Amino acid sequence: MAAPAVKAARGWSGSALGVRIAVFRFPGLTQVRWSRYGPEYKDPQTDKEYYRKSLAEQTEEEKYERELKKTQLIKAAPATKTSSVFEDPVISKFTNMMMKGGNKVLARSLMTQTLEAVKRKQFEKYHAASAEEQATIERNPYTIFHQALKNCEPVIGLVPILKGGHFYQVPVPLADRRRRFLAMKWMITECREKKHRRVLMPEKLSQELLEAFHNQGPVIKRKHDMHKMAEANRALAHYRWW
Amino acid sequence: MATPSLRGRLARLGNPRRPILKPNKPLILANHVGERRREKGEATCITEMSVMMACWKQNEFRDEACRKEIQDFFDCASRAEAARKMRSIQENLGELGSLPPKKLNKLLHRFPNKPHVS
Repeated sequence: MAAPAVKAARGWSGSALGVRIAVFRFPGLTQVRWSRYGPEYKDPQTDKEYYRKSLAEQTEEEKYERELKKTQLIKAAPATKTSSVFEDPVISKFTNMMMKGGNKVLARSLMTQTLEAVKRKQFEKYHAASAEEQATIERNPYTIFHQALKNCEPVIGLVPILKGGHFYQVPVPLADRRRRFLAMKWMITECREKKHRRVLMPEKLSQELLEAFHNQGPVIKRKHDMHKMAEANRALAHYRWW
Repeated sequence: MATPSLRGRLARLGNPRRPILKPNKPLILANHVGERRREKGEATCITEMSVMMACWKQNEFRDEACRKEIQDFFDCASRAEAARKMRSIQENLGELGSLPPKKLNKLLHRFPNKPHVS
């Protein structure tokens, strides 16, 4: 068994196996977010397709990885990461960003209500439309959500760079994850701030998502404002050094 | 070229002439080397960015009209990122002959200079 073998190799009596003792890195700074796993722990693989592959379909690297997994230490999968067919990483990330104070139950319920509201609105439109228009109306709330967020992603970003005692907004290419984060952040901020106090979040979010799906609405406008600022400052692009 | 000689350069009792060198610190080898000066990079993907912005100006900032230019810009950005990563890994592994300064300092601390005899 892996566990007793590792413990014997380590030879520590007090601490549990693989768990790191708290260590101060710098005198002025304390770590507030740290994991209790050592660097030898690997991430769990929750993808069912990976395990369903028969021996003939696996490549050399995959065979090697499978052998390796038999003796490696693996972290516990978080509660929100499942191998279910209904799990969507984008939806999970958006739910986490909407969550306040650790209230995941509320954030998840708001998310499901939003998707339901989107679906209801689209079905109403579908039933009220003629036959040709019915083919163009998208009813799957997940595709609407993904397409809306993709439409909200900025292509180029602005970064404040200090030169000659002044901060200039320099246009800079953004990484994929930064763009996705900005799209979700703008959507959530817009829905939180610009709504009437009696309007509930699912209602407002579904409305914004449908507008973004059609490339209209305030979030798309914010993206275009960012692009326009970048276009106006294109001469400052040489202030970048990367 | 070999190290220039120190003979008769410092102010000592046995040295009749006036000193050539007047060092403000003792001339003893330290147990560390200085950091590498980071070379000045220049901005990447400027041409793709300007092409994309020209396309935006013509088409009122609609993304559907400029798909190709935007895709080129993204490809250039990912290529530049990959090149930067390779360069930083190369620097950390081997510095064209000598070790990187951090590893050199570790080695020197293991085998420090002995300014004293005993």
